[in-house]
Amino acid sequence: MMASKTGARRRPALLAAYLPVVVAAALLALPPIWLSDSRLWMRIAIGWLVFAAYGIAFNVIFGSTGQLFLCIGALAGIGGYGTVILADQVGIPALPAVLLATLTSCLLGSALSWVAVRRSLGVIFTGIVTLTFSLSFSNLVLGQRGLTGGETGLLVSTGSASLLRNRLSAYYIFLALVVVFLAVFRFLQRSHIGWAFRALRDDEVAAGLAGIDVARFRVIGGMIGSAMLGLTGSLFAVYEGFIGPTTYDFAGIDIRVIVMLAFGGIGTLLGPVIGAVFFRVLDEYLIEFGQLREVVYGVLIVALFLGFRRGLLPSVQNLFARVLRSRSNPKGD
Amino acid sequence: MTAVILDGLVLGLQFGLLGVGMTLVYGLGGVLNLAHGQIAVFGAIVTSLAMTSGARAFWAALIGVAFAGLVGLLLDRTLMRPVYRREGEERVLLGLLLTLGVGFVIEGLLVWRYPIQQLSLNIGGSAVEILGVRMRTGSLLASVISVAVAVVLVLFFRYTSLGKAVRSVIQDEVGARLVGVNPNAVRSLIFFVSAALAGLVAVTRSMTSPILVTAGVNLTILALIVTVVGGLGSVSGAFLAGLLLGVVHTVSSFLIGSYITTIVLLAAAALTIVLRPAGLLGRPG
Repeated sequence: MMASKTGARRRPALLAAYLPVVVAAALLALPPIWLSDSRLWMRIAIGWLVFAAYGIAFNVIFGSTGQLFLCIGALAGIGGYGTVILADQVGIPALPAVLLATLTSCLLGSALSWVAVRRSLGVIFTGIVTLTFSLSFSNLVLGQRGLTGGETGLLVSTGSASLLRNRLSAYYIFLALVVVFLAVFRFLQRSHIGWAFRALRDDEVAAGLAGIDVARFRVIGGMIGSAMLGLTGSLFAVYEGFIGPTTYDFAGIDIRVIVMLAFGGIGTLLGPVIGAVFFRVLDEYLIEFGQLREVVYGVLIVALFLGFRRGLLPSVQNLFARVLRSRSNPKGD
Repeated sequence: MTAVILDGLVLGLQFGLLGVGMTLVYGLGGVLNLAHGQIAVFGAIVTSLAMTSGARAFWAALIGVAFAGLVGLLLDRTLMRPVYRREGEERVLLGLLLTLGVGFVIEGLLVWRYPIQQLSLNIGGSAVEILGVRMRTGSLLASVISVAVAVVLVLFFRYTSLGKAVRSVIQDEVGARLVGVNPNAVRSLIFFVSAALAGLVAVTRSMTSPILVTAGVNLTILALIVTVVGGLGSVSGAFLAGLLLGVVHTVSSFLIGSYITTIVLLAAAALTIVLRPAGLLGRPG
């Protein structure tokens, strides 16, 4: 009797927790209805899903556990190049290649996270170490021409008959990926792992004193996020059919993900999705400005981080909430 | 091989100056200036523009260095103010992200306005023989300038009261304030000096190889590596790391190739952080 009662009470809470994920999934399922005729717009739409996936992964690592991983593109690139090299050059079937490459990203990301935790590197040293990792990766891509095709890049022949090569089905595959990532993120937030994440973000020392194994949870965050990055990068390579040094470079991926999250809100569930949709579209319009596009991104980074520490959207939300509260309670409290 | 090592030392001196600028700004305000290389390129481009409009190389270089310094000063006076108001990790993170953005802005504007501009100073004169190796006058002059500036810097920090004030702020900001040192003024001065040094490095580099308008990111990364290996905040460490990495750079490019060389340098930085975070000369802990 008691058990069923609490069960019944818990179910609405569970529904409420995952409702944003469902709503986001439903909304994101709609655009192809209008866009599927336009090749350009389908490409942009898939782009926002891919960036949302990168953003959620970065959110798990940085937003949840405070580890500044400046190697989003590199970890995704290891997934992408790994898949293509394993499948096209070693001759492994596509699916195991994707899984193996994802696993490689996951292991490397976990290793970075583990080193950062073991040596208790602060935010700045973690940032620098992961940045050196990023740059080493891009130099390897350029230098190992035999494997990676160097500057000319690689044509991807694996999965050329798969659903990922069809724009419409590719869109829904990436949508499924984003929805799964969102669900994982929400699940983490609600589980005891999420509790630990919050505690160690607020005050690492206090969290440690309260018996939370800070090292373990940091590494878990790094592991899950890196696996997400590897998988997304891997699927992107198959979808795109071509990968080159700029596919996963620092300026192209990391900077954009950071701007996106600064806009949508670091550490929030839907921040990466909203930021990705907005910025992928903005990016397309900025193409005609050529070099000034980088300037716009620079200005955005400065303005967003200077003005809105928790992200632009959460700040606006806060403002609305405050206005509504003062309306319903005119005397104030 | 002697020639390669000598080249490495010439390069290393410039690496050192590049790193000193970055390390000083970090030591003083906790800001790791990721726009350092872009400021250097800005100085180079100003020099090059001054020369095309008729200025003599010396004056053009002076103008370029001064302009680079002014960018640093401007940065410190405007965007860095809110950064200094934060404390601890938050200050570091905000400084990192803001200067990253500023770097993009500077490079983007330069490439947009002067897409094919570059600076290369051709120093005439015949090659000179040193240790049985013929050295070009350009690299000789670059080294002489670098050494002179390094000596001036060391003397400044050791013997002038202003230099001591700077060191006092690095050691203990509150203590420095108590004995009447104004940390904000010191920081502005050092930001200016750091940026001017970056400009100077770009100018001396251009005596041996041209500085392209897109060189900023690479210079920033080099400065970052030197700063990390030398120890964040350590001036003599930065010089030592610069010399060491300069030699490693040329020897490794000579023997293995440039892509692997970059990876070797990056690995040196990563290993320093992991094994000895205080850097070559820093006291651990």
